[in-house]
Amino acid sequence: MATTVLPRPKQYDDTFFKPISIWLTTTDHKLIGIMYMVTSIISFVIGGIFALIIRLQLSQPNLKLVDAETYNQLISAHGVTMIFFFVTIFVTGIANYMVPLMIGARDMAFPRVNLLGFWLIPVAIILYYCGFFTGGSLNAGWTGYTPLTEKAFNHQTFGVDFWALSIIVWAISGIMASTNFLTTIVALRAPGMRFSRLPLFVWAQISTSILLLIVGAPLAAAMILLEFDRQLGTQFFTTQGRPVLYQHLFWFFGHPEVYVMILPAFGLISEIVPVFARKPIFGYMSMVAALFGIVFLSMTVWAHHMFTVGMNTYVEGFFMLMTMLIAVPTGIKFFNWIATAWWGSVEFTVPMKFVFGFLATFLIGGITGIYLASVPVDTQLHQSYFVVAHLHYVLFGGSVFAILAGIYYWFPKITGRLLNRTLGEWNFWTVFVGFNGTFLIMHTLGLEGMPRRIWTYANPAWATTNVIITISSFLIAFSILVLLINVVHSWGHGEIAGNDPWRGNTLEWATTSPPPPYNFERVPPVRSFMPVRDLRESGELIEAEPVLTPT
Amino acid sequence: MARSARALLTTIGLAALAFLLSSCDVGGLSPIFPDPVSPNGKGIYDTYVGISVVAIIVFIGVEAALLWVVLRYRRSRQPAGYMPPQVHGHTGLEIGWTIAPLIIVLAIAGYSFVELQKDFQPISNQEMTVKVSGHQFGWDYDYLNGVVVHQEGSLAAEVTPFVVPTNTLVKLQFDANDVIHSWWVPAISGKTDAVPGYDNFSWLKIDKPGKWRGECAELCGSGHAQMQIIVQAMDKSDFEAWMAKQKATTASSSPSPS
Ligand code: HEM
Ligand SMILES: [Cu+2]
Ligand SMILES: [Cu+2]
Repeated sequence: MATTVLPRPKQYDDTFFKPISIWLTTTDHKLIGIMYMVTSIISFVIGGIFALIIRLQLSQPNLKLVDAETYNQLISAHGVTMIFFFVTIFVTGIANYMVPLMIGARDMAFPRVNLLGFWLIPVAIILYYCGFFTGGSLNAGWTGYTPLTEKAFNHQTFGVDFWALSIIVWAISGIMASTNFLTTIVALRAPGMRFSRLPLFVWAQISTSILLLIVGAPLAAAMILLEFDRQLGTQFFTTQGRPVLYQHLFWFFGHPEVYVMILPAFGLISEIVPVFARKPIFGYMSMVAALFGIVFLSMTVWAHHMFTVGMNTYVEGFFMLMTMLIAVPTGIKFFNWIATAWWGSVEFTVPMKFVFGFLATFLIGGITGIYLASVPVDTQLHQSYFVVAHLHYVLFGGSVFAILAGIYYWFPKITGRLLNRTLGEWNFWTVFVGFNGTFLIMHTLGLEGMPRRIWTYANPAWATTNVIITISSFLIAFSILVLLINVVHSWGHGEIAGNDPWRGNTLEWATTSPPPPYNFERVPPVRSFMPVRDLRESGELIEAEPVLTPT
Repeated sequence: MARSARALLTTIGLAALAFLLSSCDVGGLSPIFPDPVSPNGKGIYDTYVGISVVAIIVFIGVEAALLWVVLRYRRSRQPAGYMPPQVHGHTGLEIGWTIAPLIIVLAIAGYSFVELQKDFQPISNQEMTVKVSGHQFGWDYDYLNGVVVHQEGSLAAEVTPFVVPTNTLVKLQFDANDVIHSWWVPAISGKTDAVPGYDNFSWLKIDKPGKWRGECAELCGSGHAQMQIIVQAMDKSDFEAWMAKQKATTASSSPSPS
């Protein structure tokens, strides 16, 4: 596709290195989105370095690379960083960038709340990491179960307090962002953008925001009560109180949180498959219905994390059934994606490869989820390396693969330049092999009795498996390095993308890459859920807008 | 053949290799639990196998469909200028793949629930009761006859075994003194949490003499990894002899504060 390259007007400042005052004060949802994404990628790298240290420590029995206390801080920081500061933040960022564009709006509904919501995230991150510089950070896993996190057993450092404060700030930020998304989507849709024409990524953001709005508060409540216990001497979760109550509160947030991380991923997949298969999404209405099915069900399953604490078997049976029922809406989405690509003319660009990587691996996470939902089987698998494998299949093979697909798909829109394809292929194949090499055989370690969160082990039978896992994890690290090099290099020197390099369906492809501060010179008409495709077919698509000058 | 298709085949080859490896007896790579020695462990094992039958079929079916899309519907395999049919959905199919997973999960849930009722209900017909309590970092086993086995955690040496008679239904009552611990011996059965101030129970009935290993499964502090467990089953007569010896040592050391 030949694109005319015109000099870009001065007011479109595309350089990444803007004066700090702009980053601090901008209310442009696109710049805020970029700040979210950059922050999250930094967290990813830090969390990844923790993971590599963890893997080195476990590569052989009885190693003493780090001591037990440090190890416990590392796994806690790895989990917290990956969940709270990487995946959730990245999906918030990419939605911040894309949702207003996709619905034809000029910005978010509350631009200044948006900015404040973002800046709370670095505050939360710094608060958490303060623990490391004051003698020790959280050392009880990302779940921070009481009474281990209570004063009686955890009084040497302020790590737990910093974590609790950090999570409270994080939850407030999440509630702000959710409110903002919902208001934006309800109030600022372009003419013609009816609810029945919203892109599925936007529907996914609606469902995610509803979920986070509901479960963010109980999480903050749990942290506040924990701080009351620790600082004011109350007895909510202490040995005199009810330690298990904490687990209920935490998982009432914690399980939906995994859907906060996966629903936007589902949205991304639903956008990318139709574009590269050259077919409309299969079953739009059932896709939307499935999202809300998941939202509802995900709030009725939390106690599946507690099948070993000793609940009544009928209560356990209820949570088992609800958990397994989530397979139904998830299955609908899965089969609809396959049906979308079926009979298609599927182009395996790098984003599409990551989509198929997602489908192939997320399936495994979904299936192992059924094992974990089965109460009797879960009593064996719970808190073992099987769970570690499962959670990485859904979080890494699921959310992170979708995030990578999203990076390759939307980088051209955000920067005006394509990511390098060769490096992209390397990135995909090394992370796919490295990921499965790391996490597939972790299942068997769990089956053989290796508990999670142990800093070392004496059993020589686990040595071979662990060393294979550690080697594979370095392949993942290599792959992420390739990605980072690609991003940094292509941001400055990549091939010019033009407005619409993939022949997309949704409104963000109707404006320049990157879009001007107010997104659209003229908001295009919307006649279906694939407005840009309609314009392309009717010949109305304006290709002559200025695009980035090569430097 | 396209470069990516070749890479795909390599991946499949690697996966097959991993599977082959897992079927031989390489340490740490078995796709199933250790052979169960207690009926509840056996029940869990069978449930796991039952779910696996369905899981493997679903897994192969769906991955095959994905592979078919990759191999058959890639643009390079389609005729030049091929315009895919613009289907927006199909109510029958969509209902079909709502109902099919529903039936599958209801079957799995029902099947699991039967096992749950069979092996996880409170029992009262036990022949022996032991109070197991976890502490940072070890386990105490109180036989309720004055004998207590202290299993202090260690990574360096074998821990003191918790001894039980074979073919005897032993009820385990769990408790913890400080934080939450979780008692797990995979060959016997699943985990049971020991929560301070909270009653929990499990049971075992081991069918042959031997020693089985386990570990604490709930992060309980810096000594968590050393909370190793060994359960030793002895024939009833050997057990009686062992118990008599324990009673004697307990009696001789009773004046000292415990
Ligand atoms: C280089 C890639 C990664 C490697 C090698 C890795 C490795 C590990 C290992 C070995 C553990 C278990 C530690 C233990 O239980 O002792 C773990 C825990 C965990 N990982 Fe990862 N991980 C990686 C990436 C990720 C990503 C991308 C996410 C999330 C998006 C993630 C989320 C978690 C969580 C939530 C835990 C649980 C932490 C806890 O037990 O509190 N990891 N990881
Ligand atoms: Cu859950
Ligand atoms: Cu422990």
